[in-house]
This record gives sequence, structure tokens and C-alpha cells, in this order.
Amino acid sequence: MVVFSLTVSSPNNVPISFLTSVTVTVSGQCDPFITSTSEPVGKMSLSTVRPLVSVYNEKSEEVKGTTIALPAVFKAPIRPDVVNFVHQQVSMNHRQPYSVSDKAGHQTSAESWGTGRAVARIPRVRGGGTHRSGQGAFGNMCRGGRMFAPTKPWRRWHRRVNINQRRYALASAVAASGVPALVLSKGHVIEQVPELPLVVSDKIQELSKTKQAVQFLRRIKAWADIQKVYKSQRFRAGKGKMRNRRRIQRRGPLVVYHKDQGNKRDKNYYNQIFLRIFPVKGLRHAFRNIPGIDLMSVEKLNLLKLAPGGHVGRFIIWTESAFQRLDKLFGSWKSPSLEKKGYNLPQPKMANTDLSRLLKADEIKAVLRAPQKKVVRRVRRLNPLTNTRAMLKLNPYAAVLKRQAILSAQKRQLARDELLAKKRGVTISSENAVIRTAKL
Amino acid sequence: MQHDDVVWSIINKSFCSYKVNTKSQKFCRNEYNLTGLCNRASCPLANSQYATVKEENGIIYLYLKTAERSAFPSKTWEKVKLSRNFEKAIHQINENLLYWPGFIKSKCKQRFIKITQSLIRMRKLQLRRQKLLVPLQNKIERRERRREEKALIAARIEKGVEKTLLDRLKKRSYIHNISQQAFDDALTEKEVESDEEEVEMETEIETEREQETAGPSYVAYSDDDSDVDSDSGIPQEVDLDSSFESDVSDIEDIVSEKDVASTSKTRKRLSKPRVEIEYEMEMGTPRQRIAESR
Repeated sequence: MVVFSLTVSSPNNVPISFLTSVTVTVSGQCDPFITSTSEPVGKMSLSTVRPLVSVYNEKSEEVKGTTIALPAVFKAPIRPDVVNFVHQQVSMNHRQPYSVSDKAGHQTSAESWGTGRAVARIPRVRGGGTHRSGQGAFGNMCRGGRMFAPTKPWRRWHRRVNINQRRYALASAVAASGVPALVLSKGHVIEQVPELPLVVSDKIQELSKTKQAVQFLRRIKAWADIQKVYKSQRFRAGKGKMRNRRRIQRRGPLVVYHKDQGNKRDKNYYNQIFLRIFPVKGLRHAFRNIPGIDLMSVEKLNLLKLAPGGHVGRFIIWTESAFQRLDKLFGSWKSPSLEKKGYNLPQPKMANTDLSRLLKADEIKAVLRAPQKKVVRRVRRLNPLTNTRAMLKLNPYAAVLKRQAILSAQKRQLARDELLAKKRGVTISSENAVIRTAKL
Repeated sequence: MQHDDVVWSIINKSFCSYKVNTKSQKFCRNEYNLTGLCNRASCPLANSQYATVKEENGIIYLYLKTAERSAFPSKTWEKVKLSRNFEKAIHQINENLLYWPGFIKSKCKQRFIKITQSLIRMRKLQLRRQKLLVPLQNKIERRERRREEKALIAARIEKGVEKTLLDRLKKRSYIHNISQQAFDDALTEKEVESDEEEVEMETEIETEREQETAGPSYVAYSDDDSDVDSDSGIPQEVDLDSSFESDVSDIEDIVSEKDVASTSKTRKRLSKPRVEIEYEMEMGTPRQRIAESR
């Protein structure tokens, strides 16, 4: 039983025949062991075909019947360069200023001794009776002097990034989280996860105990990733150890939720008291103590968590309602986003990125000229004055001239020989070439 | 394949957790990789249609991956068990990978051949005896060696041997027919008397040990005058132990012909029950007489 939704419309007036083959990813109900004996399945046309994602309940069984169409964000172009740039800029915004004291190095009344005292002209500390007197001061080269270019707190610490770029990076990061290859290459252990993107029912938003959360992660086969986090726990190298950054570990799965059913800050005084006495712990409380896990509300998507390190492909566990919010948040290419004013998903430079298939496609081949398989090599230039064939190519009559020259030379030679022979009284043999030709 | 090229461009340029870079080559640590190298054609992540041959517990499987299943990580790899028969297995590979790209087909077969060969070799090795290579840690070896040396020094073997020998001497009577009391008295008496008998006990013990092993050997009697002045054969004169001196006196009791007082030569003391005494008639000068007793 295969269920899919398919609307084939051509984006940007490209003829439909251009879409060489359209493939649909079947949802989880398909028999997983279909051996593909047919032609290797082609690519998906970018914007139109939307596969269905099945939802898993908190026991990680598939919930029959509920499938959600993949939000268009997951088809957004994945631009690691944009993500990296935006990540770099945005991560500067959390910084706190640091600087050296502005008085440092100047709390002396040192004055240079000038010339004539056989010492360097650096300002020296006045007075006497202490080691300090006469020592150099003020310079960056002096001991106890101020540093070169003392750091100032009015350094530009934060960066602003264009809002469209920020949204582009978010869309890319979300899209990359739906590609198993990228999530694997980032290093997450997702070999046993049932589906990617992983959508879980909203029941986990009501989890309150860490024990339950761990059980859920185990059932969903995400625990292996967290075990990897455990194995990666180690001490930081460097001075960070003594600056409250002692331990480091890997990043594990990211849980994106829509509503945390836990305690909320209630304005009502009595409710507050009540909640103090009987706290309702929600998703956050359940998951926060598990190492590596990060939590994020879908309303407040954070690039620093979606693409940690500036690299795309984090393993994300979505709740059903969060997953459904994505379409409204980002929109699709056909319809703009409902939440972000006037925002539309970024257009890709190539709708179909399978270059090798494109080049073999008939439609493209028909427009190209035939390939030039013959290899033209450089011809060596021959001197006509020395090379007869080269001369003949240029001046065919040169053959005649040459021949005549040779024949006349032979005739002359014969005349001389006859004269000599007459003088000596010897006869020339009749086999001489010239005589024979004369006879003809 | 919409993603393949994109994925490859990201993996190649940016980060891939399976990539291992060496000076000359890029390797891929992915367990499903066909060649082990990081290439566009060998990357299991960047090819949505891929196949490998892998071995598990001696059984060889063919793993297949297609684009349809790429969204389900737990189901991507389809496992086909290959026949134990080599020919049949090659046929199976061929029929499963019909219409697949030639690179994957040929590499799968190559890998299959290699795996079967290594399995054969493993089985052969199991039948033979194998050398078990045990790595040694330098630090530990050095430490233990030094400790052995120290233990040897701390044990003080010579002192122990000396002690036991003396104890034996005291406790057991090496000279029979004498009561223990008389033996002790004699020991204390001799202590007072002999002052000229000075032998280093250790050298005595050592020489006796040597004599034991060497068997009876005879020193030649020589008339040479040069020998008279030489120091050969004369043990060093060292302070004696009290019991030791008394022992010498004991021997003298038996060996009555020895001229004890006149010469400064000393007799080789014995502490062994076996006594071989050679007597020499007093013919020549006392100096020329060499007494030997074993």
C-alpha cells in the first residue's frame, strides 16, 4: 500500500518534458526489501513532489494513518557557505567585551632622561630608593609598561546580518537535517533511526521525567547518538579549564517542540504558588539533563543549534505540531510565509542538481553540436628552400624548373666528357643516360 | 540524485566524520565503503545507489542501497546472503547488481574475492599453531629489572651463606668422637692462644669451595730458592674468627707432625668431614716442607 501526493507543475516555465523523471519516495508502509532491478531511480524535481513523512508515537511505533507532507523548507537549497557565514557572524553576538585597564602601564610619572647619559632614551621612572627607579616605563617593550594597542571595550563586538540571509541559513540548515547522508557525515549515529526527518507525536511534550525521556530515546533508536556523547566527554585543552569551561562533549540530537506542557510563568499569584507546590514539569525538564540533547521551540529556531560549528546536518527530532508549523513559518515557493512578512523560500540556482543525468539527457543533447573527437595537433613548419615537398606545395612549377635544371646540367656534363674523350681518343659508353635519352 | 551531487560537494569541501586525511590519500572510515578510499564514486553517503560486500562471522553478505529507501536509515541497507560456493556467489552478485553501474559491480566482485581469500587464510591459520604476540611495555620492563637488581642487593646472599656456614659449624660437629661441650671449650681456648693464625675466612671458604669442585690437586714440591721468597701458596694473613682459630688448633691435635709454631705458614683449614691428609716426612728444612691437607 503506497500513498503519495503528487502535483507536477513546471516551475519557471520550464517545459514538463524537461523533468526527465519524477520519483516519489514511498512512505514507511512500503516493503523495505524491494530489490531494485530496474534502472537507477532518478532525481526528484525540486519544488513540486512532496513525499509524506510518517509520525511515530512515543513508543516509536508508527502511528498508522497520520502522515504529514514534507514541508517545503526541506527542499530549500542547501548552502553551506551561507550557513557558515551567518553562523560565524551570529556567534559573535553572544560575546562579552574584554579589555585591559586603561590606566595600565601609565600609573607612573616617568620622563625620559634624554641624551648624554649613555642610556636608551625610553622614559624612566623618577626618584630613587627602590628597584623601580630608573627603570623604563610606558613602552610596550618595557617591563611594567602598557601593551601595544591596549584592547578597548568599544571594539565592535556584535555583527548584524541581513534578515534574509539569516532566514536563508535557517532554511538551509533545516533542509540539510532531512538528508540522512549529511546527518551521518556530521557524525550522528542514526543508522537505526526509523525515518528521517524524524517526527514524533506530541505526547513527548507532556513527558515530565528524565527516565521517560531516556526510555523514549531508546525506543526511537536515538540513544546510540547519546552514547557517543557520553564517550566524547573529556576535559578541554587549554586555559579554558580554569575559566569555567572545563568539560567539553559532542552535540547530540536536537528536539524541536511546539508547546512545552510544563510550568509556565503565570501572572496569577495564586497559580504561581500552586505551581510552586505542585510543579508541572514538561519536555524541557525531562530532556535537559540528558547529555548532548538540546531543546528548541519551533518559534525560535536558532542557527547556532541547527548548524553547530557552522556545519549543516544536525540530527533533529521534531514533534508533530512543530513539524506542521514549519510550512506556515517558511511557506513554499508558491505561497509566501504566513508568519514572516513578505518572505518566500530562496530560489535555487539549479532546479535539478543531477549534473551527470542532465548531460546525458536527450533534450540537452539535441541542442548541442556534435562532439569533436578529432584531435588537431600542431603541424611542423618545413622550410621550402630545403624541403622539396614543402616547396612543391607552394609552387608546383618548381618541379619543372628543378627537372630542367638537372637535365641541362647532365647535358653539359656530357658535352665536356665528349670533348675530353675526343682529346684522349676514348669513346664514351653508349650506356650514358644523356645519350640514351637523346636517342628517344 | 537531486541530493547526491549536493551531498558530495558538501562532504568533500566541508566536514565528513568518516574522512581520514593522510599526506597522500583520503580514506573513508565508513563501514559500507567499497574501496576504503574517499572518492566521488566510492562514497556510500554521496551515492544513493550503492552496494558493498561485507563479512560477518565468516558469512559474506551483499548489501544494497537504493534511492527509494534513502529516507529510512534503519532500512536503507538490504542484506543478501551469498552462497558458500564461489561460482554461485559470483552469479548471485551479478544477478543482484544487474543493470547497476560497472564500477560497483566490479568492485563488489573484487571485494568478495578478497574477503573469501582472507577467510581461507584465517581458517588455515587456526589449524596451525600461532605465535601469540605479547606486547611488552618498556617502562614496566625497565622498572622490574631495576627492582630485581635491588632485591638481589638487599638479599645479601653472601652474608646469609656466611651465617649459615658458621651456624652449621657451631651446631654440627664436623669432628666426631668429641662431645659438644669439649668442642665449645676448645673453641674458646683457641681464641686466646693463637694470635699468629690469621686467615681471612672468606678466602678460606672460597678456596675450599674451589678445592671441592676441582678435586684433589697436588702442589709440586720445589727445591728452588726463588720459590722460597715468593709469596705463592701463602694465604693472606688476616684476622681470624675465634671459632676458626680453635678449629685450626683442633686439626693440629690430630696432625701432630705439623710444625705449627715455627713457620708462619698456615694450614689450610678444613670444615668438611672428608679429610685427606698428606704427610711429609721431615727430611729437608722446615721451610721446604709443604703440608697439604684437604
